[in-house]
Amino acid sequence: MPELILTVADPAGLHARPAARFVQAASRFESRIVIRHGGHEADAKSLIALLGLAIRPSSEIVLAAEGPDADAAIAALATELAPYLGVPS
Amino acid sequence: MVGLVLISHSRSLVDGLRDMVAQVAGDSVAVEIAGGTDDGRLGTSAPRIAIALRAALAASPDGVVVLLDLGSAALSLDLALEELESADRARVHVSEAPLVEGAVLAAVQASVGASLAEVVTAAAAAATMAKLPRD
Repeated sequence: MPELILTVADPAGLHARPAARFVQAASRFESRIVIRHGGHEADAKSLIALLGLAIRPSSEIVLAAEGPDADAAIAALATELAPYLGVPS
Repeated sequence: MVGLVLISHSRSLVDGLRDMVAQVAGDSVAVEIAGGTDDGRLGTSAPRIAIALRAALAASPDGVVVLLDLGSAALSLDLALEELESADRARVHVSEAPLVEGAVLAAVQASVGASLAEVVTAAAAAATMAKLPRD
């Protein structure tokens, strides 16, 4: 299960717009994609699940994927969401 | 793709909500609004709702989710739904979700090409969504 640790760069945290971009990007992949934060795990294809993590700016999140296109999903999400998520830490 | 119809007593409310939905979900989802009365007062209008429903149905092959505010909005919506052909009415789902949160969640779900049932489920989650960060 490929994983990537990222730091949320957006000064408002993972708020509605970037979370929505996340859902849209993740939904293109067949794999199960999750974000882990603060002891909780959320389905990256669900806006309500992502917003429920209440991810604050500068926090660390783990992006993980499991499935046939897991590696491609992690790579694509890290690239496309770089403006919000910052560089892998 | 699934489309949305947003109904409110206030035209400005649904006007602003449509902008907000477009910014969060992108502009691929058809969002039609029906706010206020025919003469621009606060209230709801069955004919305006019917127009919005028809436009959303025409633009959304996978169906339409309707979100509304309160009181007579439901009554006017019922009248508007009665004007539709039964095949069209069958493609409309009326959501109990709160208008603002439901519209945002539904639109994002619709934007990824989700089915009508999936969009309805996403909107329904708005009723219990947490807004304040948990400690």
